[in-house]
Amino acid sequence: MGRWWTILPLLWLACTPEPTDPAAFAAILYPADNPSTAAGVALGERLFFDPILSADSTISCASCHQPGRAFSDGLPLSIGIDGLAGNRNTPGLTNVGYYHLPLFWDGRATNLEEQALHPVGTAHEMGGSWPEVIGHLSGTEDYPHWFLEAFGTSDIDSTLVGRALAQYQRTLVSRDSKYDRVLRGEASYTSAEALGHALFFDLGDDPGGDHAGLPTAECAHCHTPPHFTNQRFENNGLDEAPDLDAFPDAGRGAVSGNPFDNGKFRTPGLRNVALTAPYMHDGRFATLEEVIDHYDSGGRYAENRSANVHALGLSPGQKAALVAFLHTLTDTSFVGSRQDFRRRRAGAGSE
Amino acid sequence: MKNLLLFLLLPLLLTTGCLDDDDQLDPLREGELALAYRAEYGGQPLDIQRKVYGYPTGDSLKVLLFQYYVSDLELLPADGGESIRLEEIDLIRRRSAAGDPTVERTYLVPAGDYRGLRFGLGVKPELNAMNPSKFAANYVLNEAEFWGPTTRYVFAKIEANAMLEDDGRFDTGLSYHMGSDALYTTVTLDRRFTVGSGRTPRLTVVADVLKALSGNGETFDITAPGKQTVHGGNQDVAVGIWNRLATQFALRVE
Ligand code: HEC
Ligand code: HEC
Repeated sequence: MGRWWTILPLLWLACTPEPTDPAAFAAILYPADNPSTAAGVALGERLFFDPILSADSTISCASCHQPGRAFSDGLPLSIGIDGLAGNRNTPGLTNVGYYHLPLFWDGRATNLEEQALHPVGTAHEMGGSWPEVIGHLSGTEDYPHWFLEAFGTSDIDSTLVGRALAQYQRTLVSRDSKYDRVLRGEASYTSAEALGHALFFDLGDDPGGDHAGLPTAECAHCHTPPHFTNQRFENNGLDEAPDLDAFPDAGRGAVSGNPFDNGKFRTPGLRNVALTAPYMHDGRFATLEEVIDHYDSGGRYAENRSANVHALGLSPGQKAALVAFLHTLTDTSFVGSRQDFRRRRAGAGSE
Repeated sequence: MKNLLLFLLLPLLLTTGCLDDDDQLDPLREGELALAYRAEYGGQPLDIQRKVYGYPTGDSLKVLLFQYYVSDLELLPADGGESIRLEEIDLIRRRSAAGDPTVERTYLVPAGDYRGLRFGLGVKPELNAMNPSKFAANYVLNEAEFWGPTTRYVFAKIEANAMLEDDGRFDTGLSYHMGSDALYTTVTLDRRFTVGSGRTPRLTVVADVLKALSGNGETFDITAPGKQTVHGGNQDVAVGIWNRLATQFALRVE
């Protein structure tokens, strides 16, 4: 014990934060009152795919958030129980656990725990009520046991359902797109993808760089890596609004009560965007080509349209290059493994 | 016995060993200092989106965003002693029409006489070289104020929509994003004040958007299409805005 000071480096090590997320992402901020556990994630996964959460046991979260579509549904506006149409497009859920700012197109839910409480009681989604759903879950043979494993109680309530669903959704992590692999030096872009990358990140701005003189598409101001969203509310010029009350959907303004927020929506993340058509909060664009045409035009007038949305003057080749770059954000390993899960479940169900 | 001593000391070492720089002041903390960052346009409190402002070219505009990073904010003791660091990095941002033009901070600082304060405008080079993913997702350097996937923080932004024809439409976007190691500038604001003995001075750092765009006999020409979007690499175009921004800061003491 003479050389007690040899322990000092260890102390130093103990103070260095652990490299939990070696990829290019800042770590997920797990809430203190809902740390993820294996049992919690497994329970959340069961709940997510189980129609028991809807009034007539026909709709699960996964009916609208389908793994094969990066957890979106392919429809312009979502369709819920009894074929009722919703008023917004279903967003994909890739890397949703990394968002630490409010969720939904208009930011009306603070976090995943709270968000999960919404669909169950929403008439055009799952159409039920919490007391009813808790009754169903408690009446099954397995769920009380699974809740006991996950949370130490078989006394099921909506808070615990929300927590389990949140834990599961925090596992929907994609970090193996071509974009990631190029960053890690494991792959390289085609020339079209490289051009699209340069347009997306405004590399033309650098007078001494390889892309000097290229138009700047300004995308990364809002679709900021690594998740391709700044998580902020922006007006990207979808609707002409001579005055601020003219937007068909007030978006953020309806939540904040601030008229200058009318027509603003949260910038969606673009990971797996090639799988989540159609696009925008109302699904108005069927293809990525239409999205790029929109940005190229500079969009429509409103006094709160972002100053970073303006006519771009892209050539047909440059537009195609941007689309090619957006396709590099697709992660087939993410989608593939989730599809396997669905198949496993389908198999289990028919047993 | 030695073992026991070590055993007793270990928890202490573990806790004190992990303190970060902000805690260095601990034994000296004696007085409260209120520091406000106030944004103005032409000497009036800056109203995001709500107000129409005149511009020297004869046009008018509505400001959507005004923000800047501050590095190594320090108080300068009057006796010439070592400066007192209040903050390593901070982002002062105005972007909401519902927001206040003033951003407030409070610090506990050693009592004494001071001759002013000093900060670096922008993200200091050692931080500017760091990948945002190294920081917590909600850290001030993870505010999506960078372009690429690795470094290059945007030190300051001014965004506005201008009306260039007299048609009631604020349809010309102005977007000035500035920042690079070469532009990083130290700002020193001289003003005497005293902390302690019952005094809690209130300092206000004032930044004026109009003075950044137009001042010292120069006016940035917002009507020239090539000067409406200045981002990233073409810093030359915005260097005048940056220099005016860096030199127009004023310190008020109440
Ligand atoms: C009927 C289709 C439907 C069902 C069922 C549904 N959702 Fe959604 N989901 C949507 C739509 C549409 C939105 C966007 C709504 C908005 O922003 O106004 C959304 C948004 C979300 C978001 C926010 C994502 C983001 O980036 O902001 C999460 C998380 C989510 N849903 C999880 C769930 C969970 C968990 C369930 C099951 C409890 C569920 N959803 C059931 C259609 C559905
Ligand atoms: C001013 C911020 C901003 C800029 C700049 C911007 N976007 Fe967007 N983007 C948004 C917002 C906000 C939405 C959602 C708008 C809505 O639905 O109302 C969006 C939606 C999208 C979508 C649809 C995603 C989905 O899941 O529905 C795509 C794709 C997209 N943007 C790509 C781009 C590309 C490519 C560029 C550059 C050419 C770009 N964006 C520039 C803010 C921006």
